[in-house]
Amino acid sequence: MTTATLEPRTKLPPSQHEFAEVVHRLEAGGAMVPDTPENLMQIVGIWYAYAVPMDFYWRDLLYIGEQVFLNPLAFRKFFISEEYLNRHNHYAGDDADLRIWRGEATAHPELLKFIRQGETRPLPRWLHHLWHDRINMEFAEECMRAMLWHRGMGGQFDPYLDSEEYKQNADRAIRAYFQGNPLMLGLYRLFPEMFLEQCRQASYYANLGLFWEIMAPVFFEIHDQYLEGKIATVKDAMNFIVNGIFAIAGRPIYHHVYIRGECYEVIPKSKGFMWLYEAALPYVEAVFYRTSPFRGTKSYNAQAGMVPDKQEDFHYGVLYADKFPVGTAGIPPTLLAQDMFHFLPDYLLDYYRKHCRKEGDMLIQLAISFQRSMYCVTSAVFQALRAALLYPLDDPNPRHLLANRRFFEAQLDRFCRPEYGIRDAARLSYIQTPDYR
Amino acid sequence: MLSVLIFGPLVAGLVVFLLRDGRQAKTLALVLAGLMVVWMGVVLARFDVAVPGIQLTEFMPWLPNLGLNYHLGCDGLSVSLLALNAIITWIVVYSTPVGVVRPQLYYGLVLWVSGGLAGAFAAQNALLFALFYDLELIPIYFLIGIWGGARKEYAALKFLLYTAVSGILLLGGILALGWLSGQADFDYGHIRGTVAGLPLAVQWTLLLTLLLGFGIKTPLVPLHTWLPDAYVEASPPIAILLGGILAKLGTYGLVRFGVQLFPDLWLQLSPGLAVWGTAGVLFGALTAIAQKDIKRMVAYSSIGHMGYVMLGCATATPLSLVGAISQMVSHGLILAILFHLVGVVEAKVGTRELDVLNGLMNPLRGLPTVSSLLVLGGMASAGIPGMVGFVAEFLVFQGSYQVFPLLTLLCVLGTGLTAVYFVILLNRTCFGKLDNRTAYYPPVWAAEKIPALVLAGLILFLGIQPHWLVQWSEQTAQSLSLTTVAVAPQVSRLLPE
Repeated sequence: MTTATLEPRTKLPPSQHEFAEVVHRLEAGGAMVPDTPENLMQIVGIWYAYAVPMDFYWRDLLYIGEQVFLNPLAFRKFFISEEYLNRHNHYAGDDADLRIWRGEATAHPELLKFIRQGETRPLPRWLHHLWHDRINMEFAEECMRAMLWHRGMGGQFDPYLDSEEYKQNADRAIRAYFQGNPLMLGLYRLFPEMFLEQCRQASYYANLGLFWEIMAPVFFEIHDQYLEGKIATVKDAMNFIVNGIFAIAGRPIYHHVYIRGECYEVIPKSKGFMWLYEAALPYVEAVFYRTSPFRGTKSYNAQAGMVPDKQEDFHYGVLYADKFPVGTAGIPPTLLAQDMFHFLPDYLLDYYRKHCRKEGDMLIQLAISFQRSMYCVTSAVFQALRAALLYPLDDPNPRHLLANRRFFEAQLDRFCRPEYGIRDAARLSYIQTPDYR
Repeated sequence: MLSVLIFGPLVAGLVVFLLRDGRQAKTLALVLAGLMVVWMGVVLARFDVAVPGIQLTEFMPWLPNLGLNYHLGCDGLSVSLLALNAIITWIVVYSTPVGVVRPQLYYGLVLWVSGGLAGAFAAQNALLFALFYDLELIPIYFLIGIWGGARKEYAALKFLLYTAVSGILLLGGILALGWLSGQADFDYGHIRGTVAGLPLAVQWTLLLTLLLGFGIKTPLVPLHTWLPDAYVEASPPIAILLGGILAKLGTYGLVRFGVQLFPDLWLQLSPGLAVWGTAGVLFGALTAIAQKDIKRMVAYSSIGHMGYVMLGCATATPLSLVGAISQMVSHGLILAILFHLVGVVEAKVGTRELDVLNGLMNPLRGLPTVSSLLVLGGMASAGIPGMVGFVAEFLVFQGSYQVFPLLTLLCVLGTGLTAVYFVILLNRTCFGKLDNRTAYYPPVWAAEKIPALVLAGLILFLGIQPHWLVQWSEQTAQSLSLTTVAVAPQVSRLLPE
């Protein structure tokens, strides 16, 4: 396990990069976010508020991928079964494979309370659902679709979805799922690719569910340690994630479908797809960087060249997202913000009440905190990749340090895209100041 | 009864002047303005809409040797504008920020203006009218000059010079009217009977003098150049006072003195007057389109809308006169809501520049209620059906089309242009996206929304129930009309019950 806390003994001349200050901070083992108590409080607090709905996201994603599967009338896909609500997280509770969070393995108590009574009062779940007094899975699905749509981001999972082996596995599962349904089986014969594509989507449901199954306890534990005083800086919080990434990098990514009590291994664990390379990195690439132009009230004009020709050049992810939910960049932030709003810790609520329009614009304030926190997560990914692929931060060899610097600068270059007229699109420069709220 | 509407504000204004505690000034002014609204309700309740002539008269000899009597009364024209005056005064007082400097002087002057306006609208004696007409001059000069914007002194002086000329022309015309006709009484009834006996050249001179005087006050193009500066430099409440009601003195004078006292000449002059009004409509709209300052844009829109009044007056059919009177009320309400909202936008965002404003409809960090009401105000100004602006413009066009079809069509084009500049204003101001770096605007408090909500309610109510707008002036317009157009339908047949 490698941490990124050591100061370099060999000094390089100052970086000439536009974000030189951030480069130097990364070289010192820090994050892209300035290391201030205020930032730490926002980051850790919002991670907690994010982790509670995320505890629902991963359960429901797996429920959809494993149980709902190809149901064409999946009206109840957001009403997960008790079995999935009580499903043990593999990284929390006494029976954890690797215990990251010291809490319970079943759904978080705050989540269960919210599912029961929402913000209104105890009502049948379908009424809560229709009243939008619920966890909004639309956000999670949008993240999943971003991963599915931006295929070809590296790793082996994605190419496997086009392999003959996968098609055969999927075929078995599809035929079993629609057994005794001549209409759907007939349609499958007519349009096999359509069904296969739906199966690939279900595989990504499972992929993202397995990814978030880990992230939820990570965020819970960071929050608990913050309250205990064990995490005192942004660097501490980031390093917890870096260490977590290495500790669980090898967690298998798979897709099992359960049909009439029988398990169909569409993507078997034996393929050896690892969490870090097949879920975490594609997720960061798809959701943090790329996604797609947000379908808001003001659209990008593709004909005017405002949308890149190549998908890999898309830059609409959370790191670029506009805090105002009026169609610019980023995954629709309003539903996630609404989800997090239910679970804000008191200290963060008090903090928001002191700024801007207090309760009036808390959704925007927490969206900014979320953006800051995602820069911290991205920093952890930078440091993890640097540790895995390059050199220690305290390496005595200047050429190695220079290689590290080139790596960091190359990462930061992605935030400057003057070729698309969006030099200021990434919010990296914004989050350097506490006034960005 | 009408004296209460005059002396209530005048006396209250004096009391407010003398208050030691400035904080009480707004409260007292607000209470008085509210009472005046209530009292106006009583006046309306006692007003018989079936009677075309003067009602609720009050008479007291004052200086009979000069022909000046304290003679009050109201017909449909007067009562409509008296009601508008009461509402606008309350809006002005309510929408004034609590921390206004020298509150005693400010509210005292506002109340004096209100009382003076009520006097002018209720006066049945031309000299008394001139007295109240000129009473406005100095208070408004101070209200612009003390509480105005960066170029307040310039704007106030310009307003003073223009309206002083207007007042001199008016006073000269009225005095000449009385003296040349050999009458020692300036009551409208007496003057009306003698004007026809004057030589034609004298009548022409008198009418043109009065036209010029009221044209400045309205203002009509090209006598309008004081207006943009005064409206823009005045604080939003004073701009509401100026555009919402004070400018109506000019249009009131056009009907009361032009149509009523010089019916034959007015008919001869009407084609020219209609062209004048139409030119104002097109000039106002086209100039508004070119503006970059939203307050200035609204100010120029006012010039355009006064053109409709002029067209209605020029046509002088029963329908067009009802339209003209309705347009005065409608414009007063719409301009008031627009100026109020522009003021809120400026106070919160810190600018009125069209190129800087953006995305104010944003539900969390923008001014969504203000933006929505701004959209409503823009729609009302553009004559969208269901709102008071449509009713007034529709009546003007219905009335004038029979007499001046081409000019009416050009004015209809003007309403299209109104829609153009309001779409520009709304699109740039309310829509689009807020800037991440700068959009930290303070919230709009409920008290800041209430004036606009009240006005929006009236705009919608009178748009949906136009009967409440036109019933007051229908008989008066019938009696004032100079043209009987065979095909002109009755107002009541055009509007839903």
